Amino acid sequence: MAYSDKVLDHYNNPRNVGSLDKSSPSVGTGMVGAPECGDVMKLQIRVNDESGIIEEAKFKTFGCGSAIASSSLATEWLKGKTVDQALEIKNTDIVNELSLPPVKIHCSVLAEDAIKAAIGDYRAKQSKQVPAAHAVV
Amino acid sequence: MSLPCWNCGGCAASRFCDACKALQPPAHDFYEFLGMPRQLALDAKELEKRFYALSRQLHPDLFSRKPVREQEYALESSAVLNDAYRTLKDPIARALYVLKREGFDIAEQGTKDVPPELLEEVFDLNMAIEELSEGDESARAQLESARHRFEVMRNEIDDALQGKFAEWDVAHDRGKLDEIRGQLNRRKYITNLIARTDIAHVSD
Ligand code: FES
Ligand SMILES: [Zn+2]
Repeated sequence: MAYSDKVLDHYNNPRNVGSLDKSSPSVGTGMVGAPECGDVMKLQIRVNDESGIIEEAKFKTFGCGSAIASSSLATEWLKGKTVDQALEIKNTDIVNELSLPPVKIHCSVLAEDAIKAAIGDYRAKQSKQVPAAHAVV
Repeated sequence: MSLPCWNCGGCAASRFCDACKALQPPAHDFYEFLGMPRQLALDAKELEKRFYALSRQLHPDLFSRKPVREQEYALESSAVLNDAYRTLKDPIARALYVLKREGFDIAEQGTKDVPPELLEEVFDLNMAIEELSEGDESARAQLESARHRFEVMRNEIDDALQGKFAEWDVAHDRGKLDEIRGQLNRRKYITNLIARTDIAHVSD
């Protein structure tokens, strides 16, 4: 199957591969997998607690070229967005940007799920942090 | 379920019309088509026997003098027969087929249906393979043993599936299918890991 140039570009030079400190309260981690192909993806964000802006995003994907490209693109898009804006990223945006064929749509879904999971994790951590934060003030 | 025969309008309760013997359109359910009991622990010998018998019965040459409509049914039937055999012969494909017929859709299940510990585990194993495959000669042995471990895991899953297949056959209980789906998901991740240990070999 032929990959689009954009997919190949991300595949050959994936952006933001790596990991962030999972235990930090400012870091949200999303770990997702696609049972139909057995691929797994980890995506992490580091959020500025004051501004709510995502300052850093990292990923590591064990999967097909489209899944790697989708998550690489997602990390590029995440940086500089607020958490709320990040939640608006849809897998269809990724499909359009990368010109993914129908059989590769689930790979982009994986990336959207990973974003949601990372934000969910970040928010869960933050809500646990709240009492402590108040105590400091 | 018997429809009137397309040819004579008589009663066509089986593959061939009782009255005029014309071939009827194929049933699309694989079990129904083959006339096999709806079982996951399927009798492989019986399946093979039926496949060969039906292949002979449905051979296109036997229909060359028949009406066009019947020739088409013969072609359609052969196609269903081949799909049915290929699918039901393989225990994993068979289980996926039954899940789909029962309304479970593997392709559409979210990542939420997979236990997070499993994803963590698979992710870590992938990391380990990657590190090993980037390593020197000495990593080879470790890669081999990793591969061996995954194969053991896969075999354990296959054994567990065998048991669950037999259990489902008794009562056709949906909860069992849910467990089977869980095992199949896990299996897919593990076979993927095994494949990656292969790729890791080739790449150096
Ligand atoms: S094929 Fe599995 S994520 Fe693309
Ligand atoms: Zn008839």
